[in-house]
Amino acid sequence: MSRFFRQAGDSDSESESSEEELMSSEDEAPKPAKPAMSKFLRSAGDESSEEEESEEEEEEMSEEEAQIKKKSRFMRTESEEEESDEEVKRVVKSARDKRLDEMEASGKLMDNALKINDWVAISSEFDKLVRMVQRQQNVSEPVPPFFIRTLVTLESSLNSAVAKEKEAKKKMNASNARALTAMKQKVKKVAKEHENEIKQYHAVSRISSLYNHRITSHMYQDPERFEQEYASHAAAEAQPPPPKVKKVKRLVGETDEEDEEFTTVGKGGKAMAFTPESIFKNLQLVQEARGKKNTDRSEQIRILEKLLEVAVTNYQRIRVLLALVSCRFDYNSSVSTHMPIDLWLSAQREVDQLVAIVAQNPAYSIQESTEDYDDLAERSPETEKDGVVRIRGSIISFVDRLDDEFTKSLQNIDPHGTEYVDRLKDEKGLYSTICRAQALYEKLGHQEPLSRVIMRRLEHIYSKPDAVVRALESAVAAADIKPSIVLDPSEETTDLIHSLCVHLYKSNNSLLRTRAMLSHIFHYALHNKFHTARDMLLMSHLQESIYSADVATQILYNRTVVQLGLSAFRCGLIKEAQLTLQDIFATQRVKELLAQGVHQQRYQVLTPEQEKAERQRQLPFHMHINTELLEAAFLVSSMLVEIPLLASIDSEEQKRKTISKSFRRLMDFADRQVFTGPPESTRDHIMQASKALQDGDWEKCRDLIQDIKIWSLMPESALVKEMLAKRIQEEGLRTYLFTYAPHYSTLSLSLLSRTFSLPLRTVTSIVSKMIWNEELSASLDQSAGVIVFHRIELSRSQHLSQILADKVNALVEQNEKALDQKLGQVTSWQDRGDGGKGGKPGEQTQERRGRGERTRGGLRGGARGGRGARFAQGLGNQMSGAQRNR
Amino acid sequence: MAEYDLTQKIIPYFDRHLVFPLLAHLAESELFPVEHVQAAQYELAKGTNMVDYAVSLFQQLHPDEEVPPEFAAKRENAVSTNERLQLEAQAVLNVIENPEVAQALRQDKNQNLQYLKEHYNVTLEQINALYNFGKFQYTYGNYSGAADYLYHFRVLSTDSDLVMSSHWGKLASDILTGKWDVALEELNTLREAIDSRAPTAPGAFAATSASTTDPSLMQLHSRTWLLHWSLFVYFNHPEGRTLLLETFLSPTYLNTIQTSSPWILRYLATAAILSRKSSTGALSSRVRHSIREIVRVIQMEEYQYQDPVTNFLKELYVEFDFEAAQRELSKAETVVTNDFFLGEFRDDFMDNARYLISEAYCRIHQRIDINDLSDRLNLPHDEGEKWIVNLIRETRMGADAKIDLEKNVIEINRPPQPIYQTVIEKTRGLAFRTQALGAAMSRSQQPPPTMQQNETQPAVVEGAR
Repeated sequence: MSRFFRQAGDSDSESESSEEELMSSEDEAPKPAKPAMSKFLRSAGDESSEEEESEEEEEEMSEEEAQIKKKSRFMRTESEEEESDEEVKRVVKSARDKRLDEMEASGKLMDNALKINDWVAISSEFDKLVRMVQRQQNVSEPVPPFFIRTLVTLESSLNSAVAKEKEAKKKMNASNARALTAMKQKVKKVAKEHENEIKQYHAVSRISSLYNHRITSHMYQDPERFEQEYASHAAAEAQPPPPKVKKVKRLVGETDEEDEEFTTVGKGGKAMAFTPESIFKNLQLVQEARGKKNTDRSEQIRILEKLLEVAVTNYQRIRVLLALVSCRFDYNSSVSTHMPIDLWLSAQREVDQLVAIVAQNPAYSIQESTEDYDDLAERSPETEKDGVVRIRGSIISFVDRLDDEFTKSLQNIDPHGTEYVDRLKDEKGLYSTICRAQALYEKLGHQEPLSRVIMRRLEHIYSKPDAVVRALESAVAAADIKPSIVLDPSEETTDLIHSLCVHLYKSNNSLLRTRAMLSHIFHYALHNKFHTARDMLLMSHLQESIYSADVATQILYNRTVVQLGLSAFRCGLIKEAQLTLQDIFATQRVKELLAQGVHQQRYQVLTPEQEKAERQRQLPFHMHINTELLEAAFLVSSMLVEIPLLASIDSEEQKRKTISKSFRRLMDFADRQVFTGPPESTRDHIMQASKALQDGDWEKCRDLIQDIKIWSLMPESALVKEMLAKRIQEEGLRTYLFTYAPHYSTLSLSLLSRTFSLPLRTVTSIVSKMIWNEELSASLDQSAGVIVFHRIELSRSQHLSQILADKVNALVEQNEKALDQKLGQVTSWQDRGDGGKGGKPGEQTQERRGRGERTRGGLRGGARGGRGARFAQGLGNQMSGAQRNR
Repeated sequence: MAEYDLTQKIIPYFDRHLVFPLLAHLAESELFPVEHVQAAQYELAKGTNMVDYAVSLFQQLHPDEEVPPEFAAKRENAVSTNERLQLEAQAVLNVIENPEVAQALRQDKNQNLQYLKEHYNVTLEQINALYNFGKFQYTYGNYSGAADYLYHFRVLSTDSDLVMSSHWGKLASDILTGKWDVALEELNTLREAIDSRAPTAPGAFAATSASTTDPSLMQLHSRTWLLHWSLFVYFNHPEGRTLLLETFLSPTYLNTIQTSSPWILRYLATAAILSRKSSTGALSSRVRHSIREIVRVIQMEEYQYQDPVTNFLKELYVEFDFEAAQRELSKAETVVTNDFFLGEFRDDFMDNARYLISEAYCRIHQRIDINDLSDRLNLPHDEGEKWIVNLIRETRMGADAKIDLEKNVIEINRPPQPIYQTVIEKTRGLAFRTQALGAAMSRSQQPPPTMQQNETQPAVVEGAR
């Protein structure tokens, strides 16, 4: 029960006039009556609450509180069937005694809090106590003696605590320290009020404690009672009895938001209540309380844990585990924060347990929908008609939830702290849980959950390097329950991924198929199998339909494309890498599209919901693709493509046709700078390298590029650097030829070979290629070993007519394309010819993507055009769509 | 050279009977131990009804062993089945061969069935007997008979699956009897049938067909089969190579090649090289630019498949490394010689390949040492000179290239193309293309086939992949 309600109740009783008080005292009377009676009473209470619903809010709340009180009382009566002497005695207590008991309880709480130096708890308990004492005085009852005693002990311990605090300043946290000072004030004030009593107390305490007790006690009306009380106190102080210890533990566990009524149950009936027989009743109670506003979730979890300890049969254990795991997931109601890690860990263990039980006992089956059965009856395979006990529940949803919570916790933990690493270590356990669930579903032959669980498994390993996958798999191999697909130490991880994906391809769920396909491609790309990955991506035709997919899948698609680009880069396929990465960089929202950071939009403020949704989509840090590395790869490949191209173009007109806008923009920016210092960032390096390449200074270019620090993050960085050096030499040669061809009439091949330190054969090959492709109007003189240039100067009108011819050509092509679209030819011939110009499949992908986007853009009124927005479109569109749905 | 032998790769895509010639060729070429090939032949024959052939193979393989008795029983069985099926089929055949009936038959198959039923009491089951008998004849090697029966069956039957199957059967029979004209015709009808509908597997004549029912996958299968079967036709029919380029370079089939059978690229590349000289002008642009196109595909599929033939093209047109190209060419020569389909074209292939090399070489160079060029072409010096003279005479280069025997060089003087010429080139096709556009618009219901003819450069796309 929350503190708020208790306070409300307190204030009620303080005024003494509310009917609430009356009702509760009325309630107390029939307490020893039979359960049936109290049940009746409760229903009466329900009715009254309905009637009073129109009344004030507070009223309603206290009503609720009353109900809960009643319910727990009902529980107690339940347990009292076992009858304990003490309980009977307590039950006949009057209302006044009850108040005394209450005070005593808070006194005890304070004592306990003192032991652990929890001043916040002490302060709140003290407030309560003072209030109760005041009430006591209001009804013209004397101040209870133990209050005085508590006051005195408090005072002394306060003094010592303050002294201690001064010595060791760092020991207390802020709130605790604040509470301590507040307490000091309060105690002073209250002590002044009760000055006389304290003096008395001090005087008497000098005599023997027994005397003291007797003397003080005789001032009060109920000496016997007091004596009893005091004795118990003394005993408690001397050697705390077991139930009390438990209570202390509990207090350590949480705050003081304790339901007193529940405490009594815990104290009196704990040992007896959780018997195998009463499990189902208790379960039902817990389940009824579930989801209600003021259910104490941790209390519920504790009850269920107890129940699990006493559960005997498999059926009982399954039932309790099902309830317990869902209870743990309930613990955290908020969507934005993650579940406490210890709870998560126990939930994971319990899911394991559950899977183990069900896997070992095929006679029990957990299904999402079953026929109705009696919740309170014990069932076993013998009692069922077909020998199978069907229980309502869903393991797959537990596994899903576990996984989601894991991701959520990673999203929320600071990725640079040790906590994150510690948390990541739990993945091993989670992974083996997933594998166990997979094994279970394989055994049961449930296809749908099996695919889901395999997808979960795949998502844990597809983006990881081999070593990590092997580590994860080794845990699975050691487990008692193994799925059919495991990684053999001799096998490649690719085989594992492949078999998992193949399983998913056969499933009926198209979303899973898509995701499996993308993960598969990602994995291939990660392992530098660019061609396989590219072919798979093209064959899947995903680029045509990805716009209609959900956001998570779109993110996965973006990740896959980016990884493909990186893989091309690592393989030395510069052109492909540039084409693949260009799209995502053109949007300038790389981080957002990869779900690695929330984008700050300049002209548009995100609504809180959008931002929240965005945050939920973020990938955990360890799955991120390093954007700086990505940018370096993109810019370097852009440089290698763009610089020779720039050199080959001689007219201003053609210069506007750019391949990579973002690269060109950076170039222009770098050009405009008056003074260039030594390069610092990756961009600086690349820009200065580009300059050097333009000037034909390939060595400087190479050194600058190889100096970029981020390469160290790339696997096999030495090889990549070597490859880059070679490319720079070649492209440098091409740039040189383009730039300086007009100034030569012949040029010796051996000179070129020396200048660019390339073998003569490579030089010849490059030059031949350029001549063949009509990039260079020259020819080779074999006997002399020189290039002979034939340059023709075009007159203005000749030049213009050439441009005109080109434009007319483009016009016809555009027309044909437009017609194609109108006719709806998906794989039209014309488009192919177009893609052929790029000569690379990457280009084709983009062409197709571009086409798809254009049509879509048209449908939506062309809100955003241009190639650059392509990547974003899917996501942005989806977001607004999601909002509309909301 | 066994590493470049494709027999193992292509056999799964052939019918059992079509493999016999392949194996026979292997036995001759001696790439593999003779015993292995014979064992394979025997295994192959065992599954057919060609009992006598199987027995003779068995005896070859195990000269000192008894012929297993099951062959006798099988033979009995085959003969009796033959008789039974023949009787059944004969009834229908008698009716059909009646000239009256032949005249009465119309285009509409249903009407024909009705007619036959009314007048001659011929039912659907009886017509199917034609199919059964044809198929049986095929299994014991009577291919021409099989072709006849299947032809008649196809005229009458309405069962699309069986018709499809009979298409395949007829094609196989025609191939095996060596009637290339008929086979070509059959191939074209079959191709239309496959392209026009979601097809079934090559039915009874396909020894292994996938158990899956996915129509697009089935279509891919059928196309792969067709590609392989058509090799027989295209490399034997006089016009075959050009047709092969036409077919294989059409987007759907190119995709099929890239997806399921990259080794077909060898045949594609060879055909492209071979068809160089036959370019009489009436060719479609697709064939004219085939080499460029194929080089692109080869480059793209390099990671999946490469052999000396494809490497030759790659080295020549991608790397422009003439030495490497020459090395690959000499390897390719043996590959081509040993290949079942290409064996006959060895000389043609070498001729054309040399031509390609020298063309590229001349285009890039201004002054060429004749000795050097002869080396590049794998020719001795004297022959090389002769070859070059022929080359210059044959081609339009005549005006530009001169041999200087004193320095032993060829001088090529290629004046740059006048600017107006380039503009004319560029704008040449425009009017026609625009017309095609207009035509397509007016027929907007159907995709315009004429546009395909008009393409300057076909390129590949993974459309069907």
